[in-house]
Amino acid sequence: MAILTVENLHKNYGIIQALKGVSFTVPKGSVFGILGPNGSGKTTMLGIIVGILRATSGSVKLFDETPTREHRKQIGTFLETPNFYHYLNAVQNLEIAAAIKGHGKEDIDKVLKMVSLDQRRLSKFSTYSLGMKQRLALASCMLGSPDVMIFDEPTNGLDPVGIAETRELIKKLNKEGKTIIMASHLLDEVEKVCTHVAILQKGTLITHGHVDEILIQEDIVEAGAADAQQLLAALQSFPGASKVKMNEVHAEAFFPTGTANLEAVNQYCFNKGITLNHLRLRKKSLEAKFFELTQNNK
Amino acid sequence: MLQRLSIEWMKLKHYRTFWILSLLYMVSIFGANYIVFRVQQAIYEEKQSKGMAELVLGTPPFAFPNVWHTTTYISSFLLFLPGLLMIISVTNEYSYRTHRQNIIDGWNRREFITMKIVLAAIGALISTVFVALTALLFGFVQGEPFTTEKGIFIFYFFIQALSYSLVALLFAILFKRGGLAIGIFFLYALVLENLIAGLMNRFLDYSGRYLPLESTDNLIPFPLLENVQRKIIKAPNITALLIVSLVYLVLYYFFINRKFETDDL
Repeated sequence: MAILTVENLHKNYGIIQALKGVSFTVPKGSVFGILGPNGSGKTTMLGIIVGILRATSGSVKLFDETPTREHRKQIGTFLETPNFYHYLNAVQNLEIAAAIKGHGKEDIDKVLKMVSLDQRRLSKFSTYSLGMKQRLALASCMLGSPDVMIFDEPTNGLDPVGIAETRELIKKLNKEGKTIIMASHLLDEVEKVCTHVAILQKGTLITHGHVDEILIQEDIVEAGAADAQQLLAALQSFPGASKVKMNEVHAEAFFPTGTANLEAVNQYCFNKGITLNHLRLRKKSLEAKFFELTQNNK
Repeated sequence: MLQRLSIEWMKLKHYRTFWILSLLYMVSIFGANYIVFRVQQAIYEEKQSKGMAELVLGTPPFAFPNVWHTTTYISSFLLFLPGLLMIISVTNEYSYRTHRQNIIDGWNRREFITMKIVLAAIGALISTVFVALTALLFGFVQGEPFTTEKGIFIFYFFIQALSYSLVALLFAILFKRGGLAIGIFFLYALVLENLIAGLMNRFLDYSGRYLPLESTDNLIPFPLLENVQRKIIKAPNITALLIVSLVYLVLYYFFINRKFETDDL
């Protein structure tokens, strides 16, 4: 069973096309990251999925069915900003959310503890810091322990400790078997937390699939020698290198993650009569990968 | 329905602004009527002016059955306040974005907006009950025997209160921001519609009476000197006014629902 199926989704705001025919499927048990720069259509898409925005065309299915309020009650959603009554405290706000979802008050203490807000449970929402508001929104999502949660930039505005805690929480929830759909503009967050990813740019889905396949990381061996051209020629025939090229000063050989062996490169070059004066292993940065993916689609 | 009503209650229960304004509204209804009552007392207590007043005005305005008419007429000038409360409670949802969250958490759009309409109806009902109690109080103080004659004005007042609250709700949903909605509501209710109505009445055979708020305002006309009024202006057709008012209420209902259900929230 697919948790979420999006088919050929279009959304226009006047002449602006926010979504241009997006389709993908979220499998059960995954942490599905929707990655894209600001303004790429992530929140618009999530808004349509949870029923607060109207799609121009295309369809959304939750649990293989046309979404109704009953489906939304089974999903904990935190969209864009923490939305609470400013003049009520955390407990009163969660009581309203729980009542709408059709639950009693029994979960409230538990979820407040999970996000470490139990000390401030009786303070008014308007007195909370941004990070606390954010955590209250996460707590609200966990009411009734739903099997599916949708988070829109859940770590936005949190301090480093808060970010780490939130990521751990998401991983923990996923380990308990929950499916999590999360939007983010942070590549490294998606890479650290998600099992699947869809990359969105200017309303178009560039690619989607398993994180390991989409965000393949490569090892890069940087080597230097007195005769750079000779070194480059030698490395071209090195077994296992997927690509070899020159950067400004050094030759670069690309390998699939974990297969680069500096010793072997050194030995190989020495055997070919080349003495290296520089040898270094680099990881290709995710940002570079992301730029590569998005540049191709300009 | 009851469960949703209890959720609306949770939203309002701890909202102090709402309760302070509601309390002041109640006090003002009593107060406004009391001021006029005191003037009446002063006139009817003095021998000389009493004779004049009885000649021109007839029985005192706060005696049964006139009190039903007088009190609802005076109180109707305060109906912008329930409208204001309506606007605040709806535009708050917009500014806190809780209208989105309520839907996200599992309400239908229809369920959300229906609750606001129900709140408007409850507000109108409470206003009406309080005005009726005020009328009873002054009627008994005045000392004439109780009668339900002219009690129909209490019903007209309910229609009027509902009309003001739904227009306020409509403005809140159209303009979404509190300040803007309140400003436009006040200007429309207090000035603009009266201006347009005045012009239409003057040049288009009293058709201004059938404008949205005017139609309900005219259900409760100025209570004094009715004979003199008849000589100056055309008598309003109460049946037509009532039908038009009810048609407007139905239109508000459909338009509010439609707007909220098709909008991007």
